[in-house]
Parts: sequence; structure tokens; C-alpha cells
Amino acid sequence: MHLLTTTRDAILAPLQSVAGIVEKRHTLPILSNVLIEKHGEQLTMLATDIEIQIRTTTAGDLGGSDASLTVGARKLQDILRALPDSAEVNLTLDDKRLTVKAGKSRFALQTLPAADYPRMNLPEGEGTRFQVTQKTFKRLLAQVSYAMAQQDIRYYLNGLLVIVDGGELRMVATDGHRLAYAAAPIEADLPRTEVILPRKTVMELARQLGDADDALEVVLAGNQSVFRFGPIELVSKLIDGKFPDYERVIPQNHPTTITFDRAPLLSALSRVAILTSDKFRGVRLVLEDGLLRIVSSNNEQEEAQEELEIDYHGDALDIGFNVTYLLDVLNNVSHEQIEWHLADGNSSALITVPGNAHFKYVVMPMRI
Amino acid sequence: MPQIRVLPDLLINQIAAGEVVERPASVLKELLENAVDAGSRSIEVALEQGGVRRIRVADDGCGIVREQLALALDRHATSKITSLDDLEHVATMGFRGEALAAIAAVARTTITSLAEGERHAWRIDASDRQPAPAALNHGTVVEVADLYYNTPARRKFLKTEATEFAHCDEMFRRVALARPDIAMQLSHNGRVIHRLPPVEHTKRAAALLSDDFIHHARPIDADSGILRLSGLAALPAYSRANRDAQYFFVNGRFVRDKLLTHAVRQAYADILHGQRHPAYLLFLELDPAGVDVNVHPAKIEVRFRDARAVHQFVFHAVSRSLAAPGAAATGLDAESGPARLPSYRQPDQTHPAAIQSRLAMDSGARDAYRGFVATAKPEALGHSPASLTSVGAADTSMARIAATHTDDDAPLGFALGQLHGVYILAQNRDGLVLVDMHAAHERILYERLKTVLDGRPAVQRLLIPAVFGIGSKEMATAEQCADVLAEMGFEIAPAGPTQLTVRTVPALLANAAIPELVRELLGELADFPASQVVTARRNELLATMACHAAVRANRQLTLAEMNALLRDMERTERADQCNHGRPTWTQLGMADLDRFFMRGQ
Ligand SMILES: Nc1ncnc2c1ncn2[C@@H]1O[C@H](COP(=O)(O)OP(=O)(O)O)[C@@H](O)[C@H]1O
Ligand SMILES: [Mg+2]
Repeated sequence: MHLLTTTRDAILAPLQSVAGIVEKRHTLPILSNVLIEKHGEQLTMLATDIEIQIRTTTAGDLGGSDASLTVGARKLQDILRALPDSAEVNLTLDDKRLTVKAGKSRFALQTLPAADYPRMNLPEGEGTRFQVTQKTFKRLLAQVSYAMAQQDIRYYLNGLLVIVDGGELRMVATDGHRLAYAAAPIEADLPRTEVILPRKTVMELARQLGDADDALEVVLAGNQSVFRFGPIELVSKLIDGKFPDYERVIPQNHPTTITFDRAPLLSALSRVAILTSDKFRGVRLVLEDGLLRIVSSNNEQEEAQEELEIDYHGDALDIGFNVTYLLDVLNNVSHEQIEWHLADGNSSALITVPGNAHFKYVVMPMRI
Repeated sequence: MPQIRVLPDLLINQIAAGEVVERPASVLKELLENAVDAGSRSIEVALEQGGVRRIRVADDGCGIVREQLALALDRHATSKITSLDDLEHVATMGFRGEALAAIAAVARTTITSLAEGERHAWRIDASDRQPAPAALNHGTVVEVADLYYNTPARRKFLKTEATEFAHCDEMFRRVALARPDIAMQLSHNGRVIHRLPPVEHTKRAAALLSDDFIHHARPIDADSGILRLSGLAALPAYSRANRDAQYFFVNGRFVRDKLLTHAVRQAYADILHGQRHPAYLLFLELDPAGVDVNVHPAKIEVRFRDARAVHQFVFHAVSRSLAAPGAAATGLDAESGPARLPSYRQPDQTHPAAIQSRLAMDSGARDAYRGFVATAKPEALGHSPASLTSVGAADTSMARIAATHTDDDAPLGFALGQLHGVYILAQNRDGLVLVDMHAAHERILYERLKTVLDGRPAVQRLLIPAVFGIGSKEMATAEQCADVLAEMGFEIAPAGPTQLTVRTVPALLANAAIPELVRELLGELADFPASQVVTARRNELLATMACHAAVRANRQLTLAEMNALLRDMERTERADQCNHGRPTWTQLGMADLDRFFMRGQ
């Protein structure tokens, strides 16, 4: 039974946007498959790992009969990728086997019934809905997602807190040692809603969202969230848990503020990081009159030191940090300058962007 | 008013026997020691009914002259010392001169002996003490029959024949282990149980102890000039649920001494689980003047003049031998003597890597090799030159990498991959190395924590303090031990009657599961609250910490991470066992693998 004939990319592009979440080795064999539904001139692909589900719907000149099937996502993707860009691809389904033909190439793949494929139900009820540009959402993700915990037993830290409140969208992530916060205005007036997105969903959104002003529609309802952008609909479960109160953690009145050019500070830290002990990567920031010295040493007694001239005239201050936490923030904000707010060697440091209350990064010191 | 009387001799001896002659095995011990003291080269023991019916010890030692036979049976009659000075330097097993008297008081005892220079042997029966001529080729035969025949109350305390025999057997083993230079034989009810030719220590040990012990044993030989410790200590993989495999000899005398046991136990502390007992066979030698053996009726405990020095010496000697990395699982081979470690074996010709390094030789050497193959294996003539040329031509960087990869500087080799998220497989010169990833990482962390905590540990302050519920007993411990915990990097404070806040953690453990970790630390601290004990317990706490922070099973590691772990293991002392005493890695040599496929048979 002839299913469709079209260009390689008309199949590969939607397949690539859903196949990313397919688990390589799953105990449920059908979950390594992608669901393909061909209905008239509409081609729908859907993949899920039970926690997230991504669906794309595209339309085009397809021909052939209607059918639904599931087939190994990775194999199909590898085959299509290996074909020439310009290839015309023909799919036929006979006796549970999907045949992919292109030029002189021919591949016959096993399928599993579409009816057996697990699907997530869309959330019921209205929930909270809003629209934001893909660009904005993606930028906020980039500014905070690196601070998420990984495999922490406080499972709610392995995700990203999303808050909508009136006309503002906020995101927060923390691993218990540092916290990143970013906010942006949205055109809405919403009751305060907080959800925690799982790490995998965050990564998938960061990967798939575009850098343009195209719209992203977000629905938060019950224990689910839905993200619609372009041809893609991503449904994700939410993490059920109490995220720490980030506002209490962000210090308000640190007496000392130092302004840095981001790039030179980043380079200096990257160099000093080379000689940190690889297990906890501690660097010491020593503030003296008009001067910042960044020093590190490792277990082999090797030492590194960098000096930066700064506008600081207080008492000498010596404070240690995990350099990874500093590099992370400097790598993920794009502003020319940053401001560093300090109190003493035992208190957190606050890093902000001059004249902008929308970004905050808090990092705890390390006693070295 | 009761009258005070001097007791008759027999009763005195019977009372003394209560201390010395507890059961057949204690009789055997005395007789064996007398035979050893007599300078025997060969000793034969025959037991009947677990030694209760009869114990017969025949030796080929110096013997006892006719005039002294009766004296030997007297209390406080000994040929071994004459003065206090002698006692302080005593080098013989016996010296009190009371064993034979005590034994003769509670069992039918006869001695037959041919002293050197006498024309024939004499025999004395303890009941009439009249020497009579007898036939014997050499040495002395002591026969002890019907133990406790005249003291039925004691007889009741004897256990079954099998149990009494087992005790005798153990006694025999102890002497046999201490004196491998003496030929020894033990038979029971006519059946020979042990027949031991004179050999050196390792062979005697192999004959008497389990193969497993020998297989897992590390040789020890430490000499301070004043003290010398030698023998074998089993790696924790061969630990026991009881103390039955612990042999400690001081100047050839088996002892079960608290100080020594403690020193050895300490040496195992880092690598052996609390409930397990180490297995060892150790010989401590020192000037007899440095040790008082006259403190225990059965001389099983001793007192050292410089107890601290002995403790230190034993502890260090044992821990050094256990710590030397690089010889897991196969420590010693009874056939080839101690310390032949597989990792340093010469490359053998069946090994592909070995062939590759030959091919990296210059062409002249390669031709010579080809010639060797041709003459040595005529049957392979048609085949090998061709394959040699093709591989030889492909003397590529790959071959060179493989060759460098089998260098000595990577005894654990290089990672091939991961098995079910639990084991790392690596290739080294000898074949396949299997590493228990969690156990190995735990071990490394532990040692690292130990060195780090010796200084001031780096401490990560928490942005979101960990707050969790604990019991009231734990809370009490937490408050008591706040200083100790702070020293380790945990700043804690109560957040309520049953809630604890943790504000800092050691930077090395920044990503560990804090509540579990702290709860477990509190549990351990609770058992040992006094602050001094806590310092002693520090390593156990570290072990707990390391276990929590180590990579869990099922973490996928990259090859680079695996190789880093292997290198870390090589650098880490005692990396061969995890903190619970399980081995962290093992080797499957090419020969072992070949055997799976019945190659070369
Ligand atoms: N097997 C033996 N060969 C030679 N002499 C022996 C033997 N057994 C005992 N003797 C002699 O009998 C003495 C008494 O033995 P014993 O009562 O065991 O006392 P001790 O061994 O403490 O001297 C010994 O000192 C020794 O001279
Ligand atoms: Mg004696």
C-alpha cells in the first residue's frame, strides 16, 4: 500500500523535531518508535517517553493512502539522513513492514501497531495560558537553565521554576549552591502561577525554540504544560514539589558593589581554573585597594594567579568560590558588564547586570 | 574453727592440673612443647577417642636419663631454667616444670626414653615411679591414658570425641605452623590425619591452611633490627566470620594477645568490614628478654617490655603489606613462593599486545623473529610469514598506541567499556581487568578525604541549607558533636526539636545526598560520643561519606572517565579493596580466558 511520496526533508525535518526525546534503550520496545499518521495531505509525527510528548503536524503534497503506524525512530532518521538531500522518498506499508524507497535504495522496516502507542492526554480545563516570543523564552532558559541540579535527591531541584505573575514571566533554577533568576515582561495579566519543568523538557525547549519573534503559546494546567510553536506541540508533565523560596535567598543589601567587564573577567577565571583541584575547583578572590587577585592551586602545589584592576577601596577581602559556578554565569549572560555585590567571606555573592533588575545570580562561597 | 593444713602432693598437683590440664588438647600442647624443647626433628602424635582415651607423643629428641625420669614427673622440676635470670631470657616453650606432674596427677602417665649415650631405653610409670628397662630406638615417648580417670567431676566437662579431637587438631596445627622444620604426624583412632615433612614456612602454611587463604595472602617480612615480623596476611576478600584463621606466634609460641590482635585489627581497619575478622599467620621474633611469657597459666598471653613499640611495628608492617597497590586477588602462589605478582609477569607470546610490540622493532630484529618462528614452529610455516608481513607492514600508529598502552605505567590498563553500569572492563598486559566502579570510586574518595581532612577541608556553603527531620537521639548527638562535624566540613544547627539544618558541606561531597549522609554520620557518632574516640572513629565516618559520594551503579561513564578512574586507582594506596573489604578489581589473564575457549589444550 503506497503511503506517500515526497522530498527527503519533508519527512526528516518533522522526524528530527520529535525523535530527540526517544530514549535509546527503553524497556518498552514501542517507545523507541515514532508514531506516523498520514491523513490526506497531512503528516503527523509523534514521539513520547511517557514524561514528554512531542507532536508535529505538517502539510504537503503527499499522495498515497491514509495510514497510522509506528517504526523505529532512530533507524528511520539515520536512513533519511544518509540519503542525498535532494532525494525523493517513497513510503509503502505492506504486511506490517514499512518500505522506504529512494532512487536505487530500498529499506524494509518492521512496524508496530499505532493503536498500541502510548499517548499523553492533553490537560483538561482552562489553566493558565499566555503567549511570548520564542526568542524571549529561549533567552530566559539560557540565562538560568545551567544552574539546575542534576540527579539531586531533592528532585524538584532537577528542574526549572517557571512563574507567571501579572505581566511578568520569571524563571529560576538552583542546585542548592547557586541560583539563577531571569525575568521578562509579557503581554498578559495573569494570576500568579508557579510550575516546575523537568530538566529534559527544558533541554528540549532550549534546543527547538527559534531565535525569532515567532510566537510560543504556553498552557499550564493541572500537572501538565503544553508548548505550541510552529508545527510543534510539546506536552510535558510537571514536577510536583515545593521549590525553595528564591526571594529569600537573593541578598538585598550587600555593601560592596564592583563593576567588571565581563570578557576580561571570564578569561582570567578560565585561565586560573586550569590549576584548580579538579574535584572541587576552588578559586580565591582576593580584593585589595584597587586590585582583584584571583588565585588557585591544586593538589600538586601548582599555583595560578591573575590580577585585575578594579574600582574597590574597602577593606581587604578574601573569598573563595567554585570557579565553575562563576564561569557558568559569565558564559551565559551576554551583557558587556556585570556587577558583583559582596558582603564577607561567609555570605553569598550577588551578580547582576547594570541597570537591569531582570537578571540575578546568587552564588555561595567556598572556604578553601 | 577450720584448721589450716599442708595439702598432700597429689592434691596439689590435681589443683594445678585444673589450671594447666583443661582438656586433652592442653595435655597435647604440653607434650608437644616438651618434644620441641628436646630438640626433636620428628614428632608423631597418636590419639584415641579425641585424646581422652589416649595421647601418645613420640619424638626423636635428646631423651631423659634413667636417674631423671622420676624427677621429670615432679612438680617444679625442670631442666630448662635454673635462675631468675634464666627465666627472664627463657627461649624454651616450657620452664615451670609442672606440666608432667599435673598431667600425671589426672591421667595414667608413662614415659619411655632413650637418652643419648645410654645402652637401652627406660620406662617409668607415674603410679610407681620405678624405672624399668624398655625398648625404644630414640627419643622419648610419653603416653597419657584415661584422662581424669580419678577426677570424675572433671570428666563430665569433656565434650564429644569429635570436639575434643578438633581441639587437639588445632593444637597440633599451631605447633606445626610454628615449626615447619620438624617433621610431624598426627593420627586419630589409627587413621593418619596429617603427615607433614619438614619444609619452609610457606609450604607448611599451604599444607595446613586453606587454599583460599594462601591464594589471597600477602607476604609480610619486616625487620627493625630488634623486632622481626614475617608471615602472611590475607586480603580482606578472604576475611572470616570468626577468629579461627588467626595465628600469631611470638618467638614460636602461639599467643592470643590483646595488644597484637589490636595492632593487626587496626591495620585492617580501613579495608575490612566491622563484622569480619582478618585471617593471618604471623611470626614475631624478638629477644626473649623483651617479652614476659610467664603471665598466663597456658602462656597464651604475653607481656612486652616495650608494648607501644611492638604495637606500632606490627601495625605498620601489616598495613604496609596490605596497602601496596597492584596485587589484588592473586597475591601468592604456594608453589612459587611469595610475592610473585601477576601484573609484573613477563609478556608471553600468546598475547596479541606482546606480538605487536615485537613488530615495532626495527626490521632486522623483525627478520630474526620471523626466522625464529619458522624454525620453532615448522607446522605453522605456510601460515605465519604471510600474516607477519601483513601486520608488519601495518606498523601503524595504532600498533604503537596499543604497545604503549600496555606499558608498566598503567598496570590496570585502559578501559574498553562498561558492563551493565556496574563494572568497567579494561585491557592490560595480562588480559582483562574487571573493576567494580562504585567500590573503586568509593575507595579513592575515601583515601582522598583522609588526606584532605588532615589539612583543613574545603567547605562549600549551601545557598539552600538542607533541612530535614531527625530523631531526638540523633539531635542530641548532633548538638554534642557539632564541633567534630564542623571540623569535617558540616556546619549544623537545630531548626526545631526534630529538624536539623546543614549549612555547609565538605566541597568534595558537595553533590552528595546530604540528609542520608548526615543521618548516617550521626548514627555512627552516637555510638562513640567521647571526643577522643571520635578521632579514632574518623576513618569510619570518612568511609560512610565516601560511600555516599561515590558514583552509583548505572551511571554511564565515558571512556575518558573510566581511564581516569583506573589511573586514580593506581595512585591510591589500598585501592585494591573498598572500605567494606570487598575487592575493587580483579584480573582475568589471557590464560584464564584461553581456558574458557579450551585453547592451547
Ligand atoms: N619429650 C621430652 N624429651 C626430653 N625431656 C623431656 C621431655 N618431656 C619432658 N622432659 C623433661 O622433663 C622436664 C619436666 O617437663 P615439664 O613438666 O613439662 O616441665 P617444663 O617443660 O616446664 O620443664 C623437662 O624440663 C625436661 O627436662
Ligand atoms: Mg613442659
